[in-house]
Amino acid sequence: MSVLPGPRREPRGTVRVVDPSPLNWLYITYNTVEEPVRVTRRGKVRPAAMSRYRWRDSTTLEIKVRSDNRFADGTPLTADSVRRAAEEQFRWESPHPPGTHFNIDRRSRVEVVDDRTVRLHLPAVDGLALGKLRATHVMSERFWRDLGFGYARDESGEGHW
Amino acid sequence: MIDAPGPWASGAFTLVEGHSRIDTEPVVIDGEDRTWLQTEDRSPTVRLHANRHYWDRRRGPRLAEVEFRNDLDRDRALDMVCDSVGEVDIVTEVPHAQAERVRRSRHARLVTVDAVRALAGVIDRDADGLPLADVRARRALNLAVDRAALVRDAFGGLARPLAGLTPPTLLTVAHRAPGRLRPYQHDPAEAARLWRLTGGSSRPVRLAALEPWAAVATFVAAQWREALGIEVQVSVVPVDRERETRRRLAAKEPREWDVLLLEQGSQSVDVPPLELHRAFVGRSGEFRAGPVDPTFERLFADLVAQTSQLRQVVAANRIDRYVTEQALALFLVAPKVLYAVNRDVDFDPYATSFELADTSVRDGHWSLR
Repeated sequence: MSVLPGPRREPRGTVRVVDPSPLNWLYITYNTVEEPVRVTRRGKVRPAAMSRYRWRDSTTLEIKVRSDNRFADGTPLTADSVRRAAEEQFRWESPHPPGTHFNIDRRSRVEVVDDRTVRLHLPAVDGLALGKLRATHVMSERFWRDLGFGYARDESGEGHW
Repeated sequence: MIDAPGPWASGAFTLVEGHSRIDTEPVVIDGEDRTWLQTEDRSPTVRLHANRHYWDRRRGPRLAEVEFRNDLDRDRALDMVCDSVGEVDIVTEVPHAQAERVRRSRHARLVTVDAVRALAGVIDRDADGLPLADVRARRALNLAVDRAALVRDAFGGLARPLAGLTPPTLLTVAHRAPGRLRPYQHDPAEAARLWRLTGGSSRPVRLAALEPWAAVATFVAAQWREALGIEVQVSVVPVDRERETRRRLAAKEPREWDVLLLEQGSQSVDVPPLELHRAFVGRSGEFRAGPVDPTFERLFADLVAQTSQLRQVVAANRIDRYVTEQALALFLVAPKVLYAVNRDVDFDPYATSFELADTSVRDGHWSLR
């Protein structure tokens, strides 16, 4: 079986949805935004905006960003996009609405090694960091400039990621 | 969350109209640990268009447009998806009591998924006049519940008995092995014996439930009365009191209940304790009702210290086993999540979220005519 993508099937049709879930805000995010990882149909964390990862040591997580990824405005998604997403997140004490348990330590340092490689240097071991990347939304420069996570509305990203 | 439409990101769709956001209010749980109370704010319509730059061609997007209709309540939406074509294609979070109605529908089918969600009871281990600090009492509450009957009678079979707090799905098998956990058996005699050993209660047990789980509370209360011979007062937290109930619980303020039934999910199956066990038991747990448990904290720290996925599974298993043996919650069921879906829509649900990248419509769908 080929692992290469076939020709893109042209999107077609409209579906109308009524979603009473109180997490609808999150589902709108997950349908429109990518993170370094996503969660598969059965619930497993898998690479998304990144193509692969490895723990270089117990506190250094290295991420390889996809080479063929673009934002909807046509600009490329690069290692620097992931760096910006992480560092914007670290500006806030509690950015994620579920709570601080989704925080990656704010003292972490983000190193852009090259256009496709980012290293997250954690101050202490956090084996849950890979899953927490699900909450690290990778956004375009235009987003950070014009909207941000609550920045334009509330001038704060606290509780608004 | 995304406050306004724009080509902001690289997901399968782009938000082109409306918003679905939450207003948030922080609650300090412990030290620097916080959670956020959430109040929804949605525009009447939220519209997504396919992002043609999306890299994962095999996944999608297969739909040109998704329209979220926030102008309809769930009952009206169910009427529309079941009895008409073109108004509503998918209704999420269908109540279990409505499953049969969807099954009988001419235009819709019932789609279910083994979601990574647990319906469980928060046990107040600080409750005055009750022996809930005693593990024997908490085990008694668990042993008194007939989960098979609960699944049958309250969920129409569309739930799975819970053993510990890790919902049983295909991908959590490893988390629950080795020495695979079994649900507490329904053993009224042993439950009564353990309850008596604790000295019993000097007042009624107050069992509360968030509104969707009112029938479950009634069921559990009846089983406790019968097995333990205790008085149980049942209360339902109305929707307009849910936020305050959650706030008081998260802030560790005095509570108006001794056991509170609620549902909690996990965003992945990789490390269920992050969002489940930690929430109910951990120092940072928004649902913890009782003292911090040093053993749990040590086990959770061991989980955090693992970067190997295999070791994380082993550590998660230890946590689930400890929480179960100590009966640190009332373990009930993992409800399936139900969807009513138009028959010309190919929708395969996700276990932890609601995503439409790989949803498509068939040739006969109203939007293609």
